[in-house]
Amino acid sequence: MDSGLHLVAGLDWGALPQNLILAIGLGAVYALIALGYTMVYGVLKLINFAHSEVFMLGAYTALFTSYWLGFSPEALQQASRESNWLNLLMMLLASMVFCAVVGVIIEFFAYRPMRDQPRIASLITAIGVSLLIQYGGALVLPVSPPPSINEAVNPYRGSIPVQLIAQNPALAAEAAKAKEAFDVADAAFQEQMKAERSEFDLSPRGLELRTAKQVAERNYRTVRKKAEDSGRELSIPKGQMIMFGTTVMLMAVLTWLVLKTRTGRAMRAASHDFDTASLMGISVNRIVTITFIIGSALAGAGAMMQATFIGTPLTTFYAVSLGVKAFVAAVLGGIGNIPGAVLGGMLMALAETLVVWMGKSEWKDAIAFVILIVVLLFRPGGLLGSAKVEKV
Amino acid sequence: MSKPVVLDLKDATIRFGGLIAVNKVNFNIHEGDLFGLIGPNGAGKTTCFNLITGVYTPTEGDIFFKGNRINGLAPNKIAARGICRTFQNIRLFGSLSVLENVVVGGFLRHRTGLLSALAYLPPAIHETAALRVQAMELLEVLDLADVADVRSRDLPYGKQRRLEIARAMATGPELLLLDEPAAGMNPNEKEDLAETVRLIRDNFGKTILLIEHDMKFVMNLCEKIVVLDHGEEIAQGPPAEIRNNPKVIEAYLGEAV
Amino acid sequence: MNWPIRIGSIVLAIVVCFGIQYLATTMLKSDGQRLVALAGLYVTLAVSLNMINGITGQFSIGHAAFYCVGAYIAGFVSLRFFQAQPLQPVLWLVVMMVLGAAAACVAGFVVGLPSLRLRGDYLAIVTLGFGEIIRIVIQNTKELGGAYALDKIPAIREIWLVWLLAIVTIAVSRNLLKTARGLAFLAVREDEVASSAMGVNVTQIKVTAFVLGSAFAGAAGALLAHYETSILPTTFSMDVSFIILTMVVLGGSGSITGSALAAVSLFYLPEYLRSQPPVSGASLAAAVIVIVAVVAVLRRIQHHYHGTVAKKVGLYIGSIVGGVVAKLILGALFGLIPAFAKASYTGDKLRMVIFAGTLIIVMLLRPQGIFAHHEFSWTLIRRLYDKVRGKGAQGAPA
Ligand SMILES: Nc1ncnc2c1ncn2[C@@H]1O[C@H](COP(=O)(O)OP(=O)(O)O)[C@@H](O)[C@H]1O
Ligand SMILES: [Mg+2]
Repeated sequence: MDSGLHLVAGLDWGALPQNLILAIGLGAVYALIALGYTMVYGVLKLINFAHSEVFMLGAYTALFTSYWLGFSPEALQQASRESNWLNLLMMLLASMVFCAVVGVIIEFFAYRPMRDQPRIASLITAIGVSLLIQYGGALVLPVSPPPSINEAVNPYRGSIPVQLIAQNPALAAEAAKAKEAFDVADAAFQEQMKAERSEFDLSPRGLELRTAKQVAERNYRTVRKKAEDSGRELSIPKGQMIMFGTTVMLMAVLTWLVLKTRTGRAMRAASHDFDTASLMGISVNRIVTITFIIGSALAGAGAMMQATFIGTPLTTFYAVSLGVKAFVAAVLGGIGNIPGAVLGGMLMALAETLVVWMGKSEWKDAIAFVILIVVLLFRPGGLLGSAKVEKV
Repeated sequence: MSKPVVLDLKDATIRFGGLIAVNKVNFNIHEGDLFGLIGPNGAGKTTCFNLITGVYTPTEGDIFFKGNRINGLAPNKIAARGICRTFQNIRLFGSLSVLENVVVGGFLRHRTGLLSALAYLPPAIHETAALRVQAMELLEVLDLADVADVRSRDLPYGKQRRLEIARAMATGPELLLLDEPAAGMNPNEKEDLAETVRLIRDNFGKTILLIEHDMKFVMNLCEKIVVLDHGEEIAQGPPAEIRNNPKVIEAYLGEAV
Repeated sequence: MNWPIRIGSIVLAIVVCFGIQYLATTMLKSDGQRLVALAGLYVTLAVSLNMINGITGQFSIGHAAFYCVGAYIAGFVSLRFFQAQPLQPVLWLVVMMVLGAAAACVAGFVVGLPSLRLRGDYLAIVTLGFGEIIRIVIQNTKELGGAYALDKIPAIREIWLVWLLAIVTIAVSRNLLKTARGLAFLAVREDEVASSAMGVNVTQIKVTAFVLGSAFAGAAGALLAHYETSILPTTFSMDVSFIILTMVVLGGSGSITGSALAAVSLFYLPEYLRSQPPVSGASLAAAVIVIVAVVAVLRRIQHHYHGTVAKKVGLYIGSIVGGVVAKLILGALFGLIPAFAKASYTGDKLRMVIFAGTLIIVMLLRPQGIFAHHEFSWTLIRRLYDKVRGKGAQGAPA
């Protein structure tokens, strides 16, 4: 109880909104990866362990595209460059296309031949493909030192300040006054400094002025903090907004595709009952291919945005834990369920961010699983999924 | 009617969402009965079995076995009380051999502990041997002895149905529930099966409740019949009565009676 | 029960264990000895996971967690109390194995509980999650070394004990399968609904399988801790769980023989490759292309050729030989391209690539695992021999 109160008291409630903003960006990435897992699972009932490696390849594609666009370390050393949105779009498309191709190849060579086999055999194949890409990739891709996308390629680096609560006017005025006082004291001290030998060897007058300046500065700091704490300002990184916007857009397209098109209907039919769907004349191979194209392209989009806007040093192994978490997110939302994947991804990011905000960042990776286990024990089919009751 | 009541359904009801799959069904079975449960497809017959064997719990009503309420008990507890069943959509232990399937049925009569099995000590060895012998005897009865070592998945359909019965018999039940045991069999096989079912009742002293689609088969075999339609019990009585019951004829209209 | 044979095989097992120890210590340096010990541990891990996964059909992919629990508990206790206790080191090690097993049992019980409500992939991801949680908890416990190693564990290196544990694990699995009780475990794997209708207490069986499987993994952990003297949370990462799972499936899910042999081979494969000379890019590229082609051809023969068994085997061998020749030619051709010829890859870099490739190839060609559901027995070998020879002798196809 005591420690609980202590914990609550120690929280920086003021920083909460800023953290929530960050969670949205991360959640978008998780959601994009989780969608790939969920779609493939929906149709093939396969945990596509290689999905995180597709994601990883997407990040490398974005990296190489940025090099090609002139943002390689060598090129940037010679001349600094300005970027624009077109570059970002090219990177995004390159990642999406490349990932889609990789996804289709993996499906064709590794999963399709396994389709009639026990599921555990496909699962081991998936693990094999995943390891193959990780270690095989490390043979040919740059891994040490791990490269990362130069932030110069992102023209939207700043943040947009948003005032949530205005500062208390009285305090703000006081702060302004304290600043004036500090400026005056500082100016006087600087003036005196010109005549002095050094900052550390002052005449009595110099000492006096320095003390005055320090007192004014301390006072100003305290008052300013008070004024700031009375109000609240958020800074929304532009990159996060782009990530979130793009994710919403892709999601809208996906929803339209699944709900409104023939292909989407066939996809839903196949995920409902594979065998019946094929009896009904749905070309299952085509549907599976399309599923892999969409799922992998979404992972590509997520990878490009994560690598560009959040930024990470890339190795061929870097997506493993992201992948596991995204998969957990998909299960959390109810695997096979598209809105579930988005919900799961967002929740996962939220939980992680909150754990970090509470100052327990060392537990960040555990929280995903704790939530998962708790949810599954109460809702065995995930949040939006329904556990299938076996007909006897 | 001096024989005691074995199974007694009192207003047994189950809902799946809006659907009432079994609606206030009442019937009771006496010791040694060969009882038929019939009705058109989707009438709720299998669901009735699921209620009796504890796969589902009735939403309303009660089920008594030899005077004790059994609804809400776990399926394995109900099996231990002495009710065992076969499945309409055959559920054998596919990659086990025919004999092994029946040995698993004998699990209930299992007395030795896990440690004995893990260390392969004499109690476990003797018990396993005894269960195998008993299983083999049952296979003889059901005419499966020659395929004892075949993987059950590889058996032809008719034999799989027989194996289901053998496996259920191995649990040593007092009440045996057979869910469409003759489905997919040809007339000759059906004839044999009817013979076997009678034999099980007469020589082994089991009480039998069976679901069957083939009216002729049921009418010839069973002494008393309950008819379900849309989850409701519409008739009950000896075959001769049921055959001429207008409600039953209506329910089956369109299907060959 | 045949007591002479029984006692004979127990004695034989112990002799074999000491034989392994003797050979390892006389013929190998400490690196090699360590590999022999680790291989034994992996046999225990694979065979014990097979109890949960293969025999009982509970899809557990977090087996390293139990290994981890056993290692940390035993390591921690040993670190504190080894100096002050009166037992011989070997006896102490046995006590620690029991302790590790007991601790892992508790963990296994807790992880087994969700299996009562969850099936298949959902259960899998929960077992994985438990594994990760346990690892992270250790990472955040200062007393256990936190993210750094728990080190200075007293070194008690008994290779014979490692292999004895492996043999005991195998024997216990084998015994279980020979009894009626063991069949109930298989029945749960095959069909839970039917099992419970036959009076099998499915709940009890599932939890028993988890507890039993994790106990052996925990004992293996205790041995590991005292062999390595220093353990890290990352020693027990998800990858280790996957590798153990792979051993089980590759050997043939449910087959004890398969699990044990796959454990040894899959453990040694990367270690063997580590010390191999580097290969050129040309050779590697040629190998990749040829392997893909040969696997495709083998699959075609497997599924579309309906001749006699002997002819089929002939075709298999033919395509493999053809592949080897094609690889040599292609490798020489690629060698003409300077970029290919210059690139060179060490065995250490390639070993995991080859490991992964092996998994995929085996699964593509034999999805039921090398041994499928079979166990090693002389009758099996006789049957195989008869099949190849007998059908071959019948000659002309219909
Ligand atoms: N678990 C379940 N969930 C929902 N509906 C069910 C379930 N089990 C059975 N039903 C429904 O109950 C009705 C009766 O089914 P059943 O008992 O199998 O019929 P039958 O008489 O052919 O054996 C059917 O409409 C079936 O769809
Ligand atoms: Mg039915």
